[in-house]
Order: sequence, then structure tokens, then C-alpha cells
Amino acid sequence: MIFSKVINRYYKRFAFFFIVGILALVAVDWLQLYIPENLGNIVRVLVENYDKDSVWPQIVEISIRVLIIAGGCFLGRIIWRVTLFYASTKIEADLRSRMFEKAERLSLDFYQANKIGTVLAWFTNDTETVEEFIGWGTLMLVDGIFLTILVLFKMILLDWFVTVLIAIPVVLIVIWGLLVEKYMSMKWDNRQNAFDKLYDFSQESFAGIRVIKAFVKETQQLHQFAKIARHNKDVEVDFARVSILFDVAIETIIAVVFSTLIGLGGYFVYLCISGETLIILGHEVNMDAAELIEFVAYFSTLIWPLIALGQVITMRSKAKASLERIGRYLNTEETIKNVPNAKVLENVKGGIVFNHFTFKYPGTTYDSLEDISLEIKPGETIGIVGRIGSGKSTLVNSLARLYNVDNKAIFIDGIDIMKADVTSLRKQLAYVPQDNFLFSETIRDNIAFSGVDSNDETIKDAAKFACVDDDIEHFPRKYDTILGERGVTLSGGQKQRVSIARAFLKDAPILIFDDSVSAVDVKTEETILSNIKRVRRGRTTLVVASRVSTVQGLDKVIVLNEGRLEAFDSPNKLYLTSPTFKKMVDLQRLEKEEGSL
Amino acid sequence: MNEELEKLRGDKKLPASMMFKRAFPYFKPELGWIILALLIVLLNVIFAAVSPLIIQDFVDHLKQDPTVIVGKGMMPIISFAIGYLVINISNQIFLYFESMILQKSAQRVVYRVRLEVFEHIESMSLDQFSEMPVGSLVTRVANYTSAMSDFFTSTLVSLLRNFLSVVTVYAIMLYLSWQLSLVLAGFVVFVIVASVIFTKVSAKLFRKERAQLSDFNAYLNESLSGMKITQLFNREAHKRDDFEKRNGALWKTRYTLIMTFGIYRPIINLILYLSIVVIFLYGVQVSLTAGTIVAFYLYVDRFYSPIQEMADQFRRVQRAFTACERLFNLLDVKPTTTDLPDAKEIDHFDGKIEFKNVWFAYEGENWVLKDVSFVIDKGQTCAFVGATGAGKTTILSLIVRNYTPQKGQIFIDDIDISTIKVESLRKAIGQMLQDVFLFSGNIRDNVTLFDESFSEEDINQAITYVNADKFIDKLDNKLDYAVVERGENFSQGQRQLLSFARTIIHKPQILVLDEATANIDTETEVLIQDSLDKMKSIGTMLIVAHRLSTIQKADLIICLQNGVIVEGGTHQSLLKNKGYYYNLYKLQFKDQ
Repeated sequence: MIFSKVINRYYKRFAFFFIVGILALVAVDWLQLYIPENLGNIVRVLVENYDKDSVWPQIVEISIRVLIIAGGCFLGRIIWRVTLFYASTKIEADLRSRMFEKAERLSLDFYQANKIGTVLAWFTNDTETVEEFIGWGTLMLVDGIFLTILVLFKMILLDWFVTVLIAIPVVLIVIWGLLVEKYMSMKWDNRQNAFDKLYDFSQESFAGIRVIKAFVKETQQLHQFAKIARHNKDVEVDFARVSILFDVAIETIIAVVFSTLIGLGGYFVYLCISGETLIILGHEVNMDAAELIEFVAYFSTLIWPLIALGQVITMRSKAKASLERIGRYLNTEETIKNVPNAKVLENVKGGIVFNHFTFKYPGTTYDSLEDISLEIKPGETIGIVGRIGSGKSTLVNSLARLYNVDNKAIFIDGIDIMKADVTSLRKQLAYVPQDNFLFSETIRDNIAFSGVDSNDETIKDAAKFACVDDDIEHFPRKYDTILGERGVTLSGGQKQRVSIARAFLKDAPILIFDDSVSAVDVKTEETILSNIKRVRRGRTTLVVASRVSTVQGLDKVIVLNEGRLEAFDSPNKLYLTSPTFKKMVDLQRLEKEEGSL
Repeated sequence: MNEELEKLRGDKKLPASMMFKRAFPYFKPELGWIILALLIVLLNVIFAAVSPLIIQDFVDHLKQDPTVIVGKGMMPIISFAIGYLVINISNQIFLYFESMILQKSAQRVVYRVRLEVFEHIESMSLDQFSEMPVGSLVTRVANYTSAMSDFFTSTLVSLLRNFLSVVTVYAIMLYLSWQLSLVLAGFVVFVIVASVIFTKVSAKLFRKERAQLSDFNAYLNESLSGMKITQLFNREAHKRDDFEKRNGALWKTRYTLIMTFGIYRPIINLILYLSIVVIFLYGVQVSLTAGTIVAFYLYVDRFYSPIQEMADQFRRVQRAFTACERLFNLLDVKPTTTDLPDAKEIDHFDGKIEFKNVWFAYEGENWVLKDVSFVIDKGQTCAFVGATGAGKTTILSLIVRNYTPQKGQIFIDDIDISTIKVESLRKAIGQMLQDVFLFSGNIRDNVTLFDESFSEEDINQAITYVNADKFIDKLDNKLDYAVVERGENFSQGQRQLLSFARTIIHKPQILVLDEATANIDTETEVLIQDSLDKMKSIGTMLIVAHRLSTIQKADLIICLQNGVIVEGGTHQSLLKNKGYYYNLYKLQFKDQ
């Protein structure tokens, strides 16, 4: 049994299964003890008076009794497996569900601070370890404790002093287990970490194989891998040594006690037979041969539960560590959440106000955006330009509350986005991100991802809007083409355009393009921009761009410089008011003039 | 091609004999150790058999007439105690050594196989990579290797141990009573039938479980990586439903598996008790002596438990076979691009590049390049222009031998590149790719690609050249600033700059830029262009870009349409031609 806030609730929920399972287990343990006893009776009957015809009825009777007990054990065994493991696997599945729900509530800062591989391991390995302990651990614990108590009880009835003697290994094994538990879990962690490292390294090497091949770093990678693999080997051997030694130590303790029982017990019997009396601690030890034989038999039945108790301790230390990781994860603070009485945004017009908006990414020391104040009127098409690192993406990302911003810094239709219900806020935005993450589903499902009502026609329209319909129609399976991992089957430009179609289909009051036409050719970019102007008329659209050519035809352009708002005006006026914009235009014009000479 | 794919997925069945034959070389160096471990196992089996005998003798000793016991004194008792202790403790010591020997051997094998598999995967060609999800390659390196080595060390040894026990015990039982042994054999038939059925059912379930688990993992991995998109589109509930479907299916299979075990184990146990009862009844019927019947009864349990253990181990055998199959299938994938035996090593290229009647298709007869020929002189900058799918990127990947053309030849400095070592070719050619991949680590690692031979000065120079110093200087730890998985804490433009710095620091002689500046603003691009001009090491430069402003200074512009060169020349001459390029140019600059 293992307790933690994370799983305590399950003991209540699955109480029925635990109780029935444990009862069945105890019943089997108890019944099992009667089988040797009955078989012993047969032997006694045979030895005492072996006359085939006279012993036959007796033997048949005992046999039937044994068969009935065996049938009981059969049922009990099935029952405890079916109930205990039902509970343990259900708990595992439910933990995973809760973890997934948690994953959906955690925001970008969590995903940047933790590697996906690590989080994945919590979902799979750690839940499995917990499941194993709840299932097998309970079995071994109940078996261990019940059998130990039962046998010790019977022995006390025989002779309490010798029983105390035999209880020593039980205590020793528990103490030994507790002492070693910490050390074992440390070694276990080492092993796990080494394996994770190997896993992560291979994962990155294969994902980045293009770079490795392009720079001919294969040998260097192999050397690095060899180092990690060698470390893995050493740590594995290290862990194996500790766990083998642990088992060996337990068996050795048992052997020592057993031989003490033989030696000392034999001595007691010897004294008893010789007619001498021995008094230890006021207790008169008086043991005959039959008693000692019984003791030996009992002790033999103690061996399995003792070993089980030892193993439970090892399993428990692993399960505890896993449960701690799961618990820590489930308790991770959710940074993006609704304030009490959050306002639900509905049918917004699309007016956006930045009010002295300053933003710093978690974990950095400088402001990515500083004191931005501007107002975007509903229905405007706005361009955002600036050099690399000037804060263009940060500005548009902050609208979707991927990070928290200051109160009263950003308003949509006059409502502070920090006071708005997050889901309703995101419902008002359609977003084309820079890195076009597509799911490994069909193109159709990817475009229809937003879940708005759609049919083949609207999906095709969206694809046409994004100028990707032609490309898709050229694929053998058209819209049913299933994309590979992260959409690898598509070229960079195609991914961008599918991602544009996905956002367009959502048909939200505010549409955001975060540098999303960079990988498409000029002609296509032109078409997409004119589609935006035509179809999105009257609704707010924000377009982040690396080139001024992209934003030239838009209503107004935001120019960012080193995180500050340099200018916000119509493209024509900006040439006069914004040095950065002027420079960008000039450079482009210079190229044009040079070219057309 | 299809067979190749089958190999990649690892579904091609290999006969067991083949598996042993191919696995043997990996275990050959450990053979001595494994045999030593087996010898210790034999001692183990003997000692384990002796230990109950001591107890038996001790009990017999106590059962004697009290006067006899007193007459013999304490000596026999002390020797029983010491004998038991010595045998058991030495057995534990043997057990320790045996386990450690096997563990160490197994780990050495895992280490060697891992290195070989990793090296092999790295040597595969890029087209082969895109056929295989990264996750399954990682599983092969990390998990299958240990499954394979586990089998040939511990599983095989314990299978052998169990087999020996069964044979020995049955031999003893035959010696005790052939009639009872025959009766027992009848029960063994039941056990075997039950085990075969169980193994068949469980194997099917295990396969299903593995498939569902890998589907579950892949789904989870993708959901976590794409969580931002899911949240932005408010699709948490939809994703959760999908997740629950997989989670539920996985649970169902696992529980069915447990139920299968939950019935099999008790059945075997029931057969054990049944056979004991029958042995007693039958033993009495055929008038065997009490001693024989009792001895026989004592051996029955020792006969059943190794059989049951062997049935359990069968699962590990199956898993190991699958692992071996997949590993060997993977190792059988021969890279499509390999060096010829007499491939040349070349240190320096002047940079003249020539395509001579090159035909290329990724698949079958779908020609992406049709009879492409051109010459780029050394020191020139050449730009490729054309719509998506015209074949621009393909040309670049042929030059670095990511693929090999079906027809025609490619020359660099008049040497056919198929006769040049791939390594020396790629070392000389700096490639800036469309999709920037950053490794987790820090900025420095990503520029040097973990090569410690670059000095701080080299790194600083490279990042200044590409103008990345401006944003790096703002970061807390500058070059040591952490880069998260896939560089997701940097913007696309910043990633491109870092990738640029990475290319430049490796001092390429020929530079290949494939949409390398798509997310870089005009001003920064101009600065980079100036830096590139200053760099003396770069001979020839090949550019693919959608923006004509990026390419109009090129010495040679080649326009491609559907894999065919439609025109080529300088910017000026092409404008005068009023052809494909002229139209493109007009379109791009029409509103300025």
C-alpha cells in the first residue's frame, strides 16, 4: 500500500475491489495451509497401516476434501487477480486521464521548461510503476503480512521463546529493507536518468540528422553516443549489483536463522531428551523432537512471505519516487487561468487597445516589449514590421494569452484580456503561428481542426483562400492524404498554407498571421494577401512580416524597434515618420533600382 | 522499393535459426563468461537440491530413538547446522557471481549493439529517414537492444536451468515408479495444451498491447508537442476524447491480458493438485509402497514449477525475437548513398559546378528534373528561380549527394561527384536549409555543433557576421543562453540567423542557401549579404529564394519550370528577354 494525495481517493473509489481482492487472497492463503495438512494425513494413514482395502475409503475421503479445497483456491485465485488488477489498471488509466487534462491546462512556459520526452515518461513509465505496485505490491504485502502473522501465531502457541528467536529475521529484513531503500532508489534514479539521456540524445540526433549529415558530424555524434552508452552500461551494472546484493542479503539472513534454528533447536531437544532443563529469562525451554520438526516446517512456509516482504520494500521505493513525480506534475501551478467572474467574450467587433504594454518573458531579464500604446479599430488590417528580435511575434502572441500580461495592458472591445474568460478570448482569435505545427491526421482534419461546422466545400474554400487547394488536388489521395510526423510530408510552403487554411476556416473576428507567408513564393503571397483584403473586409486582421512589401497594401502598419513602438500609421505616411520603415523601403527600392538599370 | 520499406518497418519475418546465426557474433566475445555462468548454475542446481536433503536428514535424525540421539551427542546437530549454513551461504555467493557475470556480459553486448545500430542509423540516407518515424528508430537503439541481449544471457540461461530441472526430476520420478510417471505424463499433456493455448492467446494480446502502446505514445507525444495549437483553437475537449479512446483501448487490452493470466495460473495450480490426488489414489491402487508414493509426491511440485516458469519465459523469448527481427531488418537497410571503394578525398574545391543531362525522380518515372544541364564557374553566385515543385531544392540536394540522379552526371571542378568521398564533399559545402533544426543545449553548442575546437573568437566572429550578436547580447548568459528542444524559445528569424552562423563558422568553400533568409528582415539580410561578400573562403554560392530582391545580384540566374530549365542568364539579360523571369519580376515589383 502506498499513500499520497494523488491516489488516496482511489482506495475509496475502488474499496469494493480492494476488499474483495484482499479477502480472496487471505482465503487462498488460509485454504492453502490445509492442503499439506490433509496430504500429511494421507501419508500418515499410509505409513501407519498400509492395507489397501482398509485405507481406501479414508484416502478417497481425504482426496475429495483436498479437491474441494483446491477448487476453492482456484476460485479465490481468479477472484483476487480479477479484482485487484481491475483496481490497479483502472487507477493507472485514470491517472493518465488526469495527467492529460492537466497537460491541457498547462501553458507554454511549462512546455519550454520541460522536455517532451521527460513528460512522456511520467505518463507511461511512472504510471506503470505505480500500477505494478498497487497490483503486485498489494498481493505481496498481504501475502507477506498475513502468512507471517498466521505462521508466527501458530508458532507462539508452540513456544513463544523460539518464536521470538524466529521473529528476528522478520525484523532484520524490514530494517535492512528500510536502510537500503534510499540507496536503492538513488541507484534506480541514476539508472533512469542515464537511460533518459540515451533516449533524448538518440531522439535529437535522428530528428536533426539533416544538420548532422550536412556538417559531417556523424563521427562526432557517434563518439558522444558511445560515451553515453558506456555510462549507461556502468550504471546498469551498478544497479544490478545493488539489487542482487539486496536479495542475497535477505536469503543469507534467512539461512543464518534457519541454521540457528537447527543448531539451537537441536540443542534444546538434546537437553530435553537428556532430561536436563534449561531456563532462559525465566522461561523453561522444553522442546521435543516433534515440536522442533513442526517448527522447521513452519519456518519453511515463512520463507516465501519474507522474501515477498523484502521485494515489496524495493518496489515501494520505486513506486514512491514515481508517485512523487506524478504528484509534482499534477500540482504544477497553472499560470494561465481565469480570474473569478471572468468576462465571457462574445461576438467581439475586433477593436484592440494596447495600453502602456510592457512584457518580459518568464526567465529573462530584459523587456521584450516596452511601453506599447496603440489602438486598432475594429475591421482594420494591420501590418507589423521590425527587425529580428524587435518583438513582432511577442506582440501578437500576447493577445491570445499564451503568457500572462499586466492588468489593464491589453483590451479587446474594451475588455481587459486578463479579465476575460480564456476560452472565450481564444475563440475570438484565429492564429497562424510561425512554426506551422500540423497533426499527423488527414489534410482535411487538419484544416477542420478548429471544430467549427464544416463540410468538404467550406474546407476546399479555406484551402483556396490559402492557395493550397491546387497542391492538395495534386496529391494522389487529395484531402485524405495523411500527414507524417509534424506534417513532414509537406514542403515548408505547403505547411504554412495548410496552417493558413486552418485558421481561416475558424472564421474568427480577429485573424493573426505570424510571419506566415515567408516560405511561399511571391505570386502566391500576393494572392493570399489580396484574399485577405477581399474576404476579411470589415474584420480585424494582423499580419506580421519580415518585408515591407508584404504590408504595403494594408490599412496601417506597426513598426517596432528594439521592443518599442516606433510608429503606427498608414504605410504611405510611415515612410516620412519612421526611420526603420524608411530604411526597409529604401533598401528594397535600392535593390529594385539596381536591378532595373 | 516495397521490400526495402518492409525491411525498414521491420516486419519481415526471419527464421529462428537465422536469428541465432546472426546474433551469435555479438555474443561470441562473451561466450567464455556465459559458459562460466552456466557452470555456476549447475552448482546452484545441485546445492539447491542438497539443501532440503539436509533438512530431511536432520528430521530423520530427530525421529530416531531418544537414546540413540543422546548417544550421538551434539556433534551431528552442530554439523547439520553448519552444513546447512555453509551450503546456503555459498549458494548465495555463487548466485551473486552468476548474476553479475551475466549482467556484465549482457550490458557489454547491449553497448556494442547500440553503437552498431546508432552508427548504422546515422549512415542511412535521408530518403530512408523520411520513411521511418524518429520514435521507432529511438526504440530500436534504446529498447530493442536490451531485449535482445536479455534473451541471450539471462533468459536463455534460466530456460536451460528449468529444462535441466524438469529432465532431472522426471528421471528421478521414472526411477521411483514408471507407472506414476506415466500418469503424471498424462497430466503434463494437459499442462502443455493449456500452456500452448495460453501462449497463443497472450502472444496475440501482447502484440495488440504493444501496437496500442506505441500508438498511445505517438499520440501523446504529438499532443504535447502541439499543445499550443490545441489551446489556441480551444480544442482541448476534442483532443481529450481522442486521448480517452486510446487510453481506454489500452486499458481494455491490458485487463484482458491480466484475465488471461488470471485464468491460466489457477488452472495450472488446479492440475497440480489434481495430479497429486490421482497419484495417491493410483499409487494405492497399484500397491506401491508408502515411501515411494510420499517421495513421488514431494517431487511433483518441483516438476511443475519449472514448466510453468518456462511458459512465462516464452513471452520474453517472443519479445526478444521481435526485437532481433527488427534490429536485423534495420541493419539490412543499405544506405543508398555510399562511397565507391576508390572514392577520392578532396581538401579544396575551386567551385566550378556542372550538371550534365541530369534526370532525377524520387519515385519511379515521376521525373522531378528532366535533362538538366548547366555550368557554374568558380567564384560565381548562381540563383535558382521557379514555382514550388519546379525542382530547385532537388538540384541542391543532388549536389551534396543526399540523392543520386538516375541519369546524367554532376561535376565539381570537373570531377564526377560520385567518385568523391561523401564526407569530403559535404565538408566543403556549407548548407543552409529551409527548416532550421536547433539542438537543445545552448547557443554556443548550436553554432559549433558541439565541436570544441572552435575558439570563442571564431564563435563571436560568426555571430557578428550574421548580425545575430544584436539579439544574443541582450540575453542573460549570451552564448550560454539555453536553447530548448527544437529551439522553440527562439523566433523563426532568430533560428535562421543561428543556422547561418553555424554554416559560416564551418568555413564552407561552396555555399548552398535554400530559402535561408525567408524570415529575416531586409536590413539584416543586406548586412548578411555584405558579410558573405567579405568572406574569402567561399568560392561558389548557390541560392534558392522566392524573393527576387535576394537574388538579382547573382552572376547567373537559372529559371526552372516543372523540372526543365526554361532560361538562364544575368538579371539584366533575362529582363531583356521578356520571358519567364521578366514576368515574375514585374509581378513582384508592380506596386512600387
